[in-house]
Amino acid sequence: MPARIPRVTHTEAIVLSHRRLGDADRIVTFLTPHRGKVDAVAKGVLRPRSKLAGHLEPLTRVDVLLAHGRSLDIVTQAQMLDGWPGLHIDLDRLSSAMYLLEVTDRLTLDRGHGDDNLDAAPMYGLLNASLIRLARGDGTHLATRTFEMALLEISGFRPEWRHCVACDTPIDTARANWSSLAGGVVCPECQHIHPEAVAIAATVLKVLRVIQNGPYEEAARVRLNPELAAGLEAVMHALMRATTERALVSAQFISEARRAGVAAR
Amino acid sequence: MQDRPPSSSSSPIQRLIEAFNRLPGIGPKSAQRLAYYILRAPADEARDLSAALVEVKERVVLCSRCQDITDQDPCRICTDASRDPAVLCVIEEPLDLRAIERTNSFHGRFHVLHGVISPSDGIGPDDLKIAELLVRLNGPDQEVREVIVATNPNLEGEATAMYLARLLGPLGIKVSRLARGLPSGADLEYADDVTLGRALEFRQSVE
Ligand SMILES: [Zn+2]
Repeated sequence: MPARIPRVTHTEAIVLSHRRLGDADRIVTFLTPHRGKVDAVAKGVLRPRSKLAGHLEPLTRVDVLLAHGRSLDIVTQAQMLDGWPGLHIDLDRLSSAMYLLEVTDRLTLDRGHGDDNLDAAPMYGLLNASLIRLARGDGTHLATRTFEMALLEISGFRPEWRHCVACDTPIDTARANWSSLAGGVVCPECQHIHPEAVAIAATVLKVLRVIQNGPYEEAARVRLNPELAAGLEAVMHALMRATTERALVSAQFISEARRAGVAAR
Repeated sequence: MQDRPPSSSSSPIQRLIEAFNRLPGIGPKSAQRLAYYILRAPADEARDLSAALVEVKERVVLCSRCQDITDQDPCRICTDASRDPAVLCVIEEPLDLRAIERTNSFHGRFHVLHGVISPSDGIGPDDLKIAELLVRLNGPDQEVREVIVATNPNLEGEATAMYLARLLGPLGIKVSRLARGLPSGADLEYADDVTLGRALEFRQSVE
């Protein structure tokens, strides 16, 4: 190991997920501003008397001290900074927040100790800001769509909503096709290159452009009726699925939670 | 050495060590200790153990009502007439049922979900015994008035409780959760009887 590697990291982090390890331990996956995604072992955390218990739950912002182990880091101290209580009063907010965690986890690579200069700060800031927006009751659709668009941009998968992905011709919103695999809109001449491209509603495409342009306050002025919100969600979920190359269970859970709610009324 | 997959060429003792090592919570050292214990134990003891292992796989089934593991269907709790038919306690795992029974503070019946909604592990509502719960509440267990969701006090447990509250609302059933007091992030399995009993007694309704 190179000598410049410090033996501990003291950092703020957002807990993305965890999995059980043996009887009472867990492997916790953190997103950190300067080391990106880090896996660390939390020993004895499942025991009620553990001093770490309750400070390492997914969907919390924590202050942690990580000791660098031979394969995985070890969590030696943890203090919860923020649990976003507003997320826990409503299932739509909670399921959206779980989705944010899952796509962040999927679109972030694991980094070793040698990559301490990695700048994950934009991604960290985005996740933190988006969870704050969800928790304070901004629309779940608006908060989630702006998060997805920015996350794709930061991770190098910026979708193209203005020009044809194949030939760069400007696209008329009135009659546009798009492809989740190509990551954007396709002009009629290039349809044969992307035969999977399907029609996208003009209103949906316009709002996607507004969201991509930013700022957030501008996008927040758009009135999202249920039909438009559903159209935006379908496009962005398809895009996230294509980009992460897997079915996103949390995206499905958002719809299932909503369906359960509709049946209730 | 302990990571080597089992193969027919390895010795019987090595195969036993590897088999123990695959059990949850058993490391290579413990696996070795157990294997050498069996080696030295009387033949009867080893035969009893192997018979019990085979029997548990062949005879134990899930109760068709509560989904708990049982050797008779419906299970003893589901057929116990002294149980309160108006209260149902929904839990993640069969082990949680044993933990709640130990508290002696609950006299209704149970429903085991066999997991919890956890997108990061690829588990959604369809992967749990939720459809079976709805069948019960709409049919044989119509007299249920309250469902206590005793999932673990963590994100997944909370999402599961809120989801069930939404789903069961239209059936006119009150849905409640265990009271705070169980440390968040902890596991019911590890909670002491007094704390768990109190959490049941002071349960709170879920919106
Ligand atoms: Zn039963």
